[in-house]
Amino acid sequence: MAELRHQFHERLAELEVQALGALDLVVEQLDRALEALEQQDVELATFVIADDDRIDGRYLEVHQGILSLLALQAPVATDLRLVAALLHVIKHAERMGDQCVNIAKLIPLVGNEPPVVPELLERVLRMGVAARAQVVEAKLAFQDRDVDLAADLSRQDREVNRLNKEVFRMAVMAGDSEDKREWAMMMTMVARALERVGDNAVGVGEQVIFVETGLFREFPVDTPPV
Amino acid sequence: MSKDVSIDPDSRVKEPSVSPEPESTPGPTPSVSRPTVGQAAAARSLPEQVGHTITLENMDAYYGQTRAVKGVNLEYAANRVTAMIGPSGCGKSTLVRCINRMHEEIPGARCEGRVLLDDANLYDPSVDVTAVRRAIGMVFQKPNPFPTMSIHDNVAAGLRLTSKRSDDVGQLVEASLRGAGLWDEVKDRLDTPGIGLSGGQQQRLCIARAIANEPEVLLMDEPCSALDPIATLKIEELIYELKQRYTIVIVTHNMQQAARVADTTAFMLSGELIEHADTEKIFTNPDDSRTDEYVTGKFG
Repeated sequence: MAELRHQFHERLAELEVQALGALDLVVEQLDRALEALEQQDVELATFVIADDDRIDGRYLEVHQGILSLLALQAPVATDLRLVAALLHVIKHAERMGDQCVNIAKLIPLVGNEPPVVPELLERVLRMGVAARAQVVEAKLAFQDRDVDLAADLSRQDREVNRLNKEVFRMAVMAGDSEDKREWAMMMTMVARALERVGDNAVGVGEQVIFVETGLFREFPVDTPPV
Repeated sequence: MSKDVSIDPDSRVKEPSVSPEPESTPGPTPSVSRPTVGQAAAARSLPEQVGHTITLENMDAYYGQTRAVKGVNLEYAANRVTAMIGPSGCGKSTLVRCINRMHEEIPGARCEGRVLLDDANLYDPSVDVTAVRRAIGMVFQKPNPFPTMSIHDNVAAGLRLTSKRSDDVGQLVEASLRGAGLWDEVKDRLDTPGIGLSGGQQQRLCIARAIANEPEVLLMDEPCSALDPIATLKIEELIYELKQRYTIVIVTHNMQQAARVADTTAFMLSGELIEHADTEKIFTNPDDSRTDEYVTGKFG
């Protein structure tokens, strides 16, 4: 029982590595965006914006590779499901990359010495840590076809969503000063971006389950407040 | 239902009848009668045609001591195309040859189990084997027109045996050639040898010859494996049209062909039926891991 489509399966495995590698790029981008936020480092934020091209480039590469495989190799069954799932994965990665850019673009807007509400910033950074963990876990779940780990992503997502709501409530109470309210408003937008990163990680988890079972199961996601 | 099934040889050849009832009478009848090929050709666009179901029950097929088909249960639904796939030697051709009782012609070969055409058991001792083969037409891998005969005579060959009037024969030949999508290409040279046609045309000639006998079921054993891609696509188009009238079983090594033409696909391995399901399911999410491994090329 020899493997008969060796070249094809090798190429498919390569594409998977490329697509999942995009999630590593997202983690890097997220780390830098969060550091820029915490340190109010405008220069680092501009790097994040510039480096989004790498994720976009990866998206185009994987997309083209998948089109070629479909045209030339006519994948079926598990292979077909993997190919379809990789298209989703790379799209999720691309969107997470865009959310990192959204965060980075907000950083110069809050000014040099923003009127930080420490407990609010702490919540946002905690969200960042949780969303980052989700991206890492989504990659692992896909790589190992670990359905349980994939399902766990939606459990983690509930915590991110809960923090998001908390940030929103705290922002509403941010105080009388206009500067402070403006800063708090920016933080709700950062929180929203992080919440979207979490949702995209859950989307990757759904693809793991699709590849393994052929079923599409949308995980229950709490509705965000904004 | 047995009256609709033409394994009853009574209406065509003078042999004892299996069925207590005569075959459908000419003219309008309340029963679901199958139209002649001539009528069928005229009514090609009609959506509803009555097809017949083939049911295999516990089929075993042997070559001497070797058991090539092992306890297969399978239903070929009426007016549907069923593809048989599986690696060489898995028993798919053997199984299909059991359906029209060709397997038993091989010295030392035999089979056990039941093949039902609707409700009639084709292996019943009272059944006339010739009538079975007329009711169940077959098209082979290599186009095999009778080499000495003209195009017209190739199609008429089966009809001669059933003592049709000669003007009927002309009509039936035309209807059959039209049914096989070949008429326009050959109508001006019906008297030239069939062997002078291209491979794809020869194969459609063989299909015309098969449907001239007004079968209930068409068996196709790799009908395109000797054809170029365009001729293959023509045959596949034809299969799609033919299923409006016939129940079709196609053995193919080309999985993309199975995916294109078949409504359901059956996967066999080492004489056993592993899985039979909608073609879409077989090629997107098969239940059995062996099916998955075969269609994705992990073994073969």
